[in-house]
Amino acid sequence: MIEVNNLSKTFELSRQQRKELNTDAKTSVAVDNISFRCEPGRIFSLLGPNGAGKTTTMRMLSTIYKPTTGEILMGGIDAVKNPQEARRKIGFLTGSTGLYARLTPNELIHYFGDLYGVDKETINQRKEELYTLLGMHDFQNKRIGKLSTGMKQKVSICRTMIHDPEIIVFDEPTSGLDVITAENIIQLIQNCKNQGKTVIFSSHIMSEVDLLCDDMAIIHKGKLLFSGTMTDFKGQMQADNLTAEFIRIVHQSQNTPS
Amino acid sequence: MIFTIFKKELKETLRDRRTLMMMLVIPILIFPIIINITASVSTSFQEDAATKKIKIGIVDTPSKFLTNEFNQIPDSFGKKEVVNYVDTLQLIKDIKNEKIQLGAYLSGKFLSQLDAMVPAPVVFYFNATELGMQERAQGYMSVIEQKMQVERFKKLNISKEKINPIVSEYRNIASDKEMIGKLAGGFLPYIFIAFCFMGCMYPAIDLFTGEKERGTIETLLTTPVARWQLLFGKMGVVVLSGLLAASAALLGLFLSMETLNGLDNDELLKVVHSILSPSFIFLMYCLLIPLTVFFAGVMIPIAVYAKTFKEAQSIITPLNIVMVIPAMVGLFPGVELNVMTACIPVVNIVLSTKELIAGTLDPFLVALSFMVMTALAVLAVFISYRRFDKESNVVL
Repeated sequence: MIEVNNLSKTFELSRQQRKELNTDAKTSVAVDNISFRCEPGRIFSLLGPNGAGKTTTMRMLSTIYKPTTGEILMGGIDAVKNPQEARRKIGFLTGSTGLYARLTPNELIHYFGDLYGVDKETINQRKEELYTLLGMHDFQNKRIGKLSTGMKQKVSICRTMIHDPEIIVFDEPTSGLDVITAENIIQLIQNCKNQGKTVIFSSHIMSEVDLLCDDMAIIHKGKLLFSGTMTDFKGQMQADNLTAEFIRIVHQSQNTPS
Repeated sequence: MIFTIFKKELKETLRDRRTLMMMLVIPILIFPIIINITASVSTSFQEDAATKKIKIGIVDTPSKFLTNEFNQIPDSFGKKEVVNYVDTLQLIKDIKNEKIQLGAYLSGKFLSQLDAMVPAPVVFYFNATELGMQERAQGYMSVIEQKMQVERFKKLNISKEKINPIVSEYRNIASDKEMIGKLAGGFLPYIFIAFCFMGCMYPAIDLFTGEKERGTIETLLTTPVARWQLLFGKMGVVVLSGLLAASAALLGLFLSMETLNGLDNDELLKVVHSILSPSFIFLMYCLLIPLTVFFAGVMIPIAVYAKTFKEAQSIITPLNIVMVIPAMVGLFPGVELNVMTACIPVVNIVLSTKELIAGTLDPFLVALSFMVMTALAVLAVFISYRRFDKESNVVL
């Protein structure tokens, strides 16, 4: 389970950044006091336009960033106070995830297994299961740099799942991928749900959210605009379809004085 | 965990052709290539200069004194053809036009000066841009002078020994090892420092900026490994690469001395062998390891800060000059290791290694140099850690 309480993240702006953003402010609030909860066996989607604060939130959940204020509980562990402990429970995947091009899938999987402290026997067993599931046996010893995008995405999935995490964090996992390659991710998300794992993914593609998620939150300019179940969201809809409703909520927040 | 990271980073580094070229191939080949080219060019030049037949123009006495003397000199001193001139104007003009290579002028008083036993001048003209001509003239004249000296001693009925009242003898009490150490000993650490820096550079950029640029750092940071462990694992590879590059350069230099006759002097080669003892190599590495860690510690914060490989390279490359200039200071003969120089980073290591080669090391000063460099290395590692721990630097 993921529990996020009053989470905020403020970045200090360098002189260069102030110049680029045309502002005199010395700080920028990326995430502003948001709270939500992701249950095991359910898929939670964090929805928002570009620059909404989704990636910053996902990076805080995966402990890459330290929150300015607030609390994150990952499977009962305080991820702010014990980030290393929390990381053992998390699998993290982004659409733009890079892989070590000079290693083979086998070497990469063993490396990450070692980093997560998984013993050799379990690594081999999990690897075998995942290779069979994803059809990776044929290219397991080829250099990653020579693999196709689809093959690389399979290696990424295998890397994310090698330590059998109970919480999976996907940051725009299908961004930049073609439909066939994205299908691997969609399948992975559904499998994780079926296995009772806690899944959170960020996206700005409403159709993807509609297909997968049970619970959702909409975030814009760092603020939470909606948090609830997909059924609630659909029930409160004022527009004709999900995309139109998402746009309506975002526009409404822009017109509402804070 | 650090070793797991180290192993993986080393494997990746050794699979990168660019790093491999900079780390092993170039350092190992550079000296054999330079020494081979220099030796063959210089040998061919010397052979060419010795066998070249030159034309010598002489403004001689009416009896053709110098022409006759020159014609008697055997060809083993260099082949020649003598041409007589009536004045120096035409002689100089022909040297300029490269019709002749050497000109000699004897004044009208030359023979009377010889008879009066006063020094009789011979003026030589040559074009210094044509190398070896002055040496050729000196060679010919030494043959003529020696012959005439013997004739004169005979004529005066005195032995050569009688006109030399004092025989001065100069004995150098410094061993060859000491001489090499003090005068050329800075060369060894200089090579080490220059190649060490070069060897550290690519892995530092690749393992830090490269990881950021390729988008792999994010996933690495989500693993339950402390950042200092990641840093140390990566830094270990940067340090090892620097040491490997420097060792490869030294190995290349040693091999070229041994197999390519780069050091065409058996005595000197013996001294070099006596210097390169296992204990010397061990002590040298003890001094150079903190220096390499210092280099890595200086490069890593830059590599962590830079957003692209190009940006990191453009900052680190000029830094090379800043680091190597102090190493050059140690090359100058006369710059000695003292309390002040022992506190100057890089310079202290070069001078300590010089003392080590010469066998004249002062344990206190060498220990001070080592401690100063170690303290700076620790500081550099700490700064690297602070930089690597700063989230805005690590993630794009």
